[in-house]
This record gives sequence, C-alpha cells and structure tokens, in this order.
Amino acid sequence: MADEVGSIPELDLKKYDADEQVKIICLGDSAVGKSKLMERFLMDEFRPQQSSTYALTLYKHTANVGNKTVAVDFWDTAGQERFQNMHPSYYHTAHACIMVFDVQRKITYKNLVNWYKELREYRPEIPCCVVANKIDADLKVTQRSFNFGKKHGLPFYFVSAADGTNVVKMFREMIKRAVDYKQNPSDFMDEVMQELENFDLEKKEDNSAADEDGLKAESPETV
Amino acid sequence: MSFEAKRCGVQFCPPSIVLIYQNMESKKVRKRIIPVRNFSKYSDYGMAAERLKNHPRHGDYLEGVSQSQLEKLLLILRDHMQGFTLEHSLASFRLDPDEDLNKLGDEELARKKGQMDELFEKNRRRKGDAEFVYDLEVDFNKSIQESCLKRYWTKTGV
Ligand SMILES: Nc1nc2c(ncn2[C@@H]2O[C@H](COP(=O)(O)OP(=O)(O)O)[C@@H](O)[C@H]2O)c(=O)[nH]1
Ligand SMILES: [Mg+2]
Repeated sequence: MADEVGSIPELDLKKYDADEQVKIICLGDSAVGKSKLMERFLMDEFRPQQSSTYALTLYKHTANVGNKTVAVDFWDTAGQERFQNMHPSYYHTAHACIMVFDVQRKITYKNLVNWYKELREYRPEIPCCVVANKIDADLKVTQRSFNFGKKHGLPFYFVSAADGTNVVKMFREMIKRAVDYKQNPSDFMDEVMQELENFDLEKKEDNSAADEDGLKAESPETV
Repeated sequence: MSFEAKRCGVQFCPPSIVLIYQNMESKKVRKRIIPVRNFSKYSDYGMAAERLKNHPRHGDYLEGVSQSQLEKLLLILRDHMQGFTLEHSLASFRLDPDEDLNKLGDEELARKKGQMDELFEKNRRRKGDAEFVYDLEVDFNKSIQESCLKRYWTKTGV
C-alpha cells in the first residue's frame, strides 16, 4: 500500500499473510470506552502499537470471514480526540468505522454528530455503526431510543466493555461489513442508497417528526 | 498463587498503598501495606502506578487493581503532598454528565477515568470467572420501533 499510511513510520504497517486486509477505525469522545471495547474484543491477543506523534494506537487482529482469513487493523485514538478532530491519515483507507458514546454522559451522544460529520468528509460511504457503551451501569437505558443511528441509517448496538454484552457481536459484524465494503464498494453504496430511500419512506409513514436533531437522549423517550 | 483484591486505599504517612486481598488458596483475607517510594509532589503518577504494578514483590498482589485505580490513589497522595485536602481531590474525581471530557488535560482526564474504573471493575466479567462468556449477546430490540430498525439491518446484509 503506497499511500499516506506509510507516513507513520513508528507503526509496523506491513501486510500479513491473509486473503484480505481491512482497516477499521474507532471514533468518539474521550473516556467513552473505545480502548476498553477493543481490549475486551481482543482479550489476550492484544499487543497494541502506539504512535505518540499521531496519538493513535494500532491493534492487529486476524479474523475468519466465511472461508477467508482477514487481517484487521483496528485504529484507536490515544488522546487525539482531545483536538476535536483527527489527523486525516486516521481516516485514510478505512473500511469501516465504529462510533462510540457513553450512555452515562449525554454530551458524548450529542457529540456524535460532529464525529459523524468529520467521518463523512473523509469517508463518505464506509459502513459505520453507533455503539452505546457502559450499559452495565444502568440497564434501563436499553429501553430508550437513541435516534441518531436510525436517522443516518446506521446499525445500533447496546454494549458493555465491562461485562462483555454484545461486544464480540458488534466487532464481528463490523469486520464482515468492512470486508464486504472492500470487496464491493459500489454495490454497497447502491444498497445503502436504496435502503435510505426506503427508510425515509418508513419514517414519513410513522410521522415521528418530533425527532429533528436526533438528540433524543436528552429527554429520552421510554418505549 | 492467586490473590483477589478486595479493596485498595492510600495512606499518607508513610506514603503507601493499602490493599485488602484474599488469598484464593487459603481463602484468608489479609492486609498488605505497599510503600510508595521515591514519590514526591512532582512525580509522574502514571509511571509510579506502572512501577507498582510491575514490582517484583508487590506486583502479583496488585493484579486485580487497574492502572487507572492506582493512578487515582497516587493522585490523592500527590494532591496531599501539594497541600490539597482530600475533599479537593475527591471533587476532582466527580463526574458531571454534561462535562466535555475532550477538553481536559491528561491528568484531569486520568482523574475521571480513575473514578469511572471503580464501576468498571465492579461490573467486569473476567476470563476465568464462572459467568464469563466471550461472545455474550443480549437482544434489546423488542419494541415495535426497534424491530423496524432490525428489519433494516437485515436488509443491508449485516
Ligand atoms: N461501567 C463501565 N465503565 C466502562 C466501560 N467501558 C469503559 N469504562 C470506563 O471508562 C473509562 C474510559 O475508558 P477508555 O477505554 O479509556 O475510553 P477511551 O478514552 O474512549 O479510550 C475506563 O477507565 C473505564 O473505567 C463499560 O462498559 N462499563
Ligand atoms: Mg483510549
């Protein structure tokens, strides 16, 4: 890969012996649990590499998708979220994005809109999901609806890095989507566009105009 | 030998970490005082915590105490050395759901994370725990509204 990624010399970005290679990035405010989620998924396997210059951490993982071996590079921020935006190389060549917020801190939910906007500036079409972390702190949050994901047609997961709820499921699905996207980016886009159209229709039907900005967490609605 | 940390605290004079732990073989609960050496009001709490965790004699006992928790205790100790009250330290750990933690410096962020870690460690399921399931799945999408969303996921081939 002769691209910008190579400009982070501290990290070992050489290819491994795998059928496919994907890069998955993690976004979200400080302390929402991005690193803990990564560690929970990778367990003992994790031996991250740090780049202090770019304030990022790289975790390498090998997954099996169908009958293929997939080398996954997970990129996690190591404080770069502090600057409110990420270095472009963070987004560069990413195949999927995991956006995390902390169900205990609504500001982290509100800030998703900024993270999402930045993501789409660099990667307009890669698969992305919204992850509500720390549900172990208060299981009642799982009865609320967080509409940001729905509004943008993104899968949504309630997870806990502490007790492990849905962490592995979420990562496996995102790895699969990253591979699908890499193998067939245009088809994927078409499908999304079509889905979004259907989705809009559905939305008009149920006439839930109340949700204008998708920031329902502020006055969560119990379903 | 395996030890389970029950509680961990800090003592100012002499500067030490106090650990209440259970020896999992004998089931006995014991107290261990771990001196914090070469630590001043200018010291790096993160490095000091790391030193403790890797300590040849004490490290094993501290396995169940997270880095962030140790950092939190060392910050209390350092605050004390700098002349701050315990109240002041505790206030700095307090979590405000509206506070934007992106705006904090390393140390302030470490304080908040140290605080968050208490609940995290309490709710944590570790490999080796009887209840541990690596790929634990729980379906929360039972309402009508959410099942709409679910249908949408299925269609995108997730
Ligand atoms: N209760 C609970 N706390 C969590 C969970 N995940 C992370 N935390 C806490 O949140 C703090 C910040 O997590 P971290 O992974 O460092 O956040 P990051 O800045 O987004 O990488 C940690 O120190 C944990 O104490 C979770 O699932 N449940
Ligand atoms: Mg992190």
